[in-house]
Amino acid sequence: MRTLDRKLFRDLWRMRINAIAVAMVLGCGLSIFVMAVGMRASLERTRIQYYSSERMADLAVSLVRAPEQVAVELAAAPGISAMEARIVGYALLDLPGIVEPASARLVSLPRKGRPTVNDLVLSRGRWPDPGLVDEVLVNEAFADALGLSMGSSLEATLHGRRQSLKIVGIANSPEFVFVSAPGELFPQPDRFAVVWMGREALARAYDLEGAFNEAIFRLTAGADPGQAKRFVDAIVQRSGSTGAYGRDRMPSDRFLVEELRQLATMAAFLPAFFLIIAAFLVNVALARIIATERSNIGLLKAFGYSDTAVAWHYAKNALLLGAIGAALGSGAGVWLGQLMASVYRDYYHFPRLDFDAPVWVFAAAWTAAFGSVGVGALAAVLNAARIAPASALAPPKPVAFSGTNGLAGALGRRLDAKSRIILRRIVRFPRRSATTVIGVALAIGLLVVARTFPAVMDRLLDVHFSQTNRQDVTLSFIDAREEAVLHTIESLPGVIYAEPVRIDNVILHHGSHNVEEALIGSWPSARLSRLMGASGDIVAPPAAGVALARALAAKLGVNAGDTIEIEQTRGSRLQMTVRVAAIIDPMVGSSAYMDMDAQARLMREPGQISGANVRLDPAAYAAFNRELKRTPALVGASFLNLAESAMRRSYAEGVGYMNLIYLSFAAIMAGGVAFSAARVTLAEQERDLATLRVLGFTRLEVSYVLVGELAALALFAVPAGCIIGTLLANWLMQLFETDMYSFPYVFNPQGYAFAIAFTLVCVAVAALVVRSSVDRLDMVGVLKARD
Amino acid sequence: MPTFSLRKVGKRYGDGPAAVHALREVDLEVAEGELLILLGPSGSGKSTLLNILGGLDRGTSGDITFRMTSLTAMPDRELTLYRRRHVGFIFQFYNLIPSLTARENVELVNEIAQDPMPAAEALDLVGLGDRLDHFPAQLSGGEQQRVAVARAIAKRPAVLLCDEPTGALDVNTGIRVLEALVEVSTRFRSTTLMVTHNADVARLGDRVVRFLDGGIRQIEVNARRAAPADLVW
Repeated sequence: MRTLDRKLFRDLWRMRINAIAVAMVLGCGLSIFVMAVGMRASLERTRIQYYSSERMADLAVSLVRAPEQVAVELAAAPGISAMEARIVGYALLDLPGIVEPASARLVSLPRKGRPTVNDLVLSRGRWPDPGLVDEVLVNEAFADALGLSMGSSLEATLHGRRQSLKIVGIANSPEFVFVSAPGELFPQPDRFAVVWMGREALARAYDLEGAFNEAIFRLTAGADPGQAKRFVDAIVQRSGSTGAYGRDRMPSDRFLVEELRQLATMAAFLPAFFLIIAAFLVNVALARIIATERSNIGLLKAFGYSDTAVAWHYAKNALLLGAIGAALGSGAGVWLGQLMASVYRDYYHFPRLDFDAPVWVFAAAWTAAFGSVGVGALAAVLNAARIAPASALAPPKPVAFSGTNGLAGALGRRLDAKSRIILRRIVRFPRRSATTVIGVALAIGLLVVARTFPAVMDRLLDVHFSQTNRQDVTLSFIDAREEAVLHTIESLPGVIYAEPVRIDNVILHHGSHNVEEALIGSWPSARLSRLMGASGDIVAPPAAGVALARALAAKLGVNAGDTIEIEQTRGSRLQMTVRVAAIIDPMVGSSAYMDMDAQARLMREPGQISGANVRLDPAAYAAFNRELKRTPALVGASFLNLAESAMRRSYAEGVGYMNLIYLSFAAIMAGGVAFSAARVTLAEQERDLATLRVLGFTRLEVSYVLVGELAALALFAVPAGCIIGTLLANWLMQLFETDMYSFPYVFNPQGYAFAIAFTLVCVAVAALVVRSSVDRLDMVGVLKARD
Repeated sequence: MPTFSLRKVGKRYGDGPAAVHALREVDLEVAEGELLILLGPSGSGKSTLLNILGGLDRGTSGDITFRMTSLTAMPDRELTLYRRRHVGFIFQFYNLIPSLTARENVELVNEIAQDPMPAAEALDLVGLGDRLDHFPAQLSGGEQQRVAVARAIAKRPAVLLCDEPTGALDVNTGIRVLEALVEVSTRFRSTTLMVTHNADVARLGDRVVRFLDGGIRQIEVNARRAAPADLVW
């Protein structure tokens, strides 16, 4: 090793606190980058491979009833490379040992061979025998959640008929990577199953012998999806089609795409903060090294080292820090990525999902690290190159403070001399002061964000589960029923009160925009399920016209007062013109809302409802469920308590986990900035502080000069951090908005208090650790030292 | 009553054969108001003695009293108070706080002193009455050192300890600093100990203590103190 390089390591060792701060802050930022980008790449690659190997449908169309002949025509349509005609439906499941009925999506398997579209990956067991009507496959998540194995049986109510099903295999499908019951906010793998079974058995249950009710397609390479869709629509127009749709309307893929988008968001913005702070920290640390090394630089140049060689020597210092940070970030990123993959495996059911970041992710991380330290080092390194040997060897002049006599001077005169030292140094070194303020403020901001998210989730859960929906169970009927059915429901054991539910799946049209959404009937005097805005206010359904969730209105490009077309997706597929009466901001869902009676009339089903909300007597919970499992007319029963606990659990395991990581990273940022600032302040002031000790100042008084500067900067950072945190939280909540949820910013005073207190404690610890050097100040040495 | 009494004061670094004796069994009495010059080559022990007398360092043997109070066993806190109340320091490299003006550098010490003179008055005494609001970076070396003198004498200290006060200055500037120093120490009857390499500066003192190899080799008494203006080096 060259002598100069040995010096490099010793310089770094001398400034090790700053070096550790830079490496840690860089490491945090890059680990988020590697994790998010790596996870995104892994998820995207797994998705593409899975979709390709199992032939995920490009196009699908739901029908009321289509004769087999239609399938032949569809298979021959231009642009279609493979087609599967199948029967799908919903069923209630009665599971042994479980009080509440679960529900299932039923999907038929081909009469012969494997599905040519949406094939399955069998993870255990075997394929059902097509000749046996009771043999089925279930999805792996459901089997795992309930500990089901080969030979277990399920009691199902299929289209009103009870049937016993035997599990012979456990499978995954690209169609059900993300599995959630319709209308549920969150996956409840133990409450919702995908059941694949023989076509004949389903045909019999649904009276679809010689017919089918869904077709799924793979397109030929290069086919125009729009055109293929038009061909399909033309063929199925008399079969009660709701219109062919692409992957953007397939729920599982929609969730996946949304997840990929969020990962990209996270990768784009969070690491940037850490990289900026790292650049600042490098700048401060290197400027300090070069200041203390001034005479050495003069000496090196006097010996004949060129300006470039000297500059390169100090640049290597920064690059070494960059390399350490990048290595740290890469390692931690992979670890976090693997952690994240294990969380994802609970949500996204691929046959295999591993965190496997491609090489370019690491290359990008290292480039970003070198870019960050390079920018940070630039000014200091150029300064080292510019130092003239003669002046560097001469004794340094005291740092000029004459420029600090403005406002700070006026203010300073009211303070004691020690406080004046603090104030003048802050004003004299604005860039360094700003680094500390910004760094500490960003740490506070990140913590505010990290603490706002749980508050938003709490508000969301509270609004959805306690205020908006006060029913215990929502029942969904197979078909629309007369409102009188409520009397029957009220006669079920334990039912205290029942209210009607009316939900129609519709396609909303405006200009060239078409969106499939739920049209939800709202009842002004409803006691159980009420329509609520983001601010927690009850929203009355418009007496005439339709109210749209803001996200839906944006998708359609409409404002209040415009008119839209609403198309039924079943039956006679009526198309009606409706006025948009209001735009509202619900926290959950982005649906359309109407007065329930008006909606029933619009759908030409006056007095008919599609389900019921029920309030239960807890004492009769088991009896109610026993009865429910025997009720033929239901396709789903959603239990709010179960949904809420599933959501809270999965939040705690998934998002909660990530929150903990952000919390740690914010702490590292706060600690890193504070340690770095305290260390540099000490290095710069060591001589002055020792002089103060010599002059008779006590350790406490001298510590005040050292710690006071940091404390003052930290106090400046508090309001800045709160503002940054609020803006960031608002912005992030918007970014993370999905079709399903909108996250209004929630002011959480405890969160702010925590962010401020936590950061100030980090700063205080850093200050106190560095302060201990005051006890070891070399008073004798300072008398002899030139500076 | 002597200001300082030293009995067999020693300072040893390390143990055994590797031990270095910076100071060996020094006996000395310094009278109130006396100007004592400590002369000797580098490493002869003069600065070590100055540091011990200033309460910055401790001897490893012997006893030192300041106005009949022992400094030897004084805890750190009390040594700090001792420096604060009684000792004025002047260093070779001035050691001014760069972020404070001349006036404020003096006020810094005044804030913790008992009954100090106003900073402006102290600076006037050293001939810097017109440079009160200048920062160290705006002052010459000699001016900076005179600020240091003003800072040291503003609290009317019992003891002035000067470590090579002219070491970094040219002759003319050095003489101006010494003039200021001698004048104020005489006016306040401060007991003054000045470390120097410079044999000619020794003529300023009442007595000259010559150090060699950690011990006192010789003590000379000047029949008449020279004036700073008469010095040549």
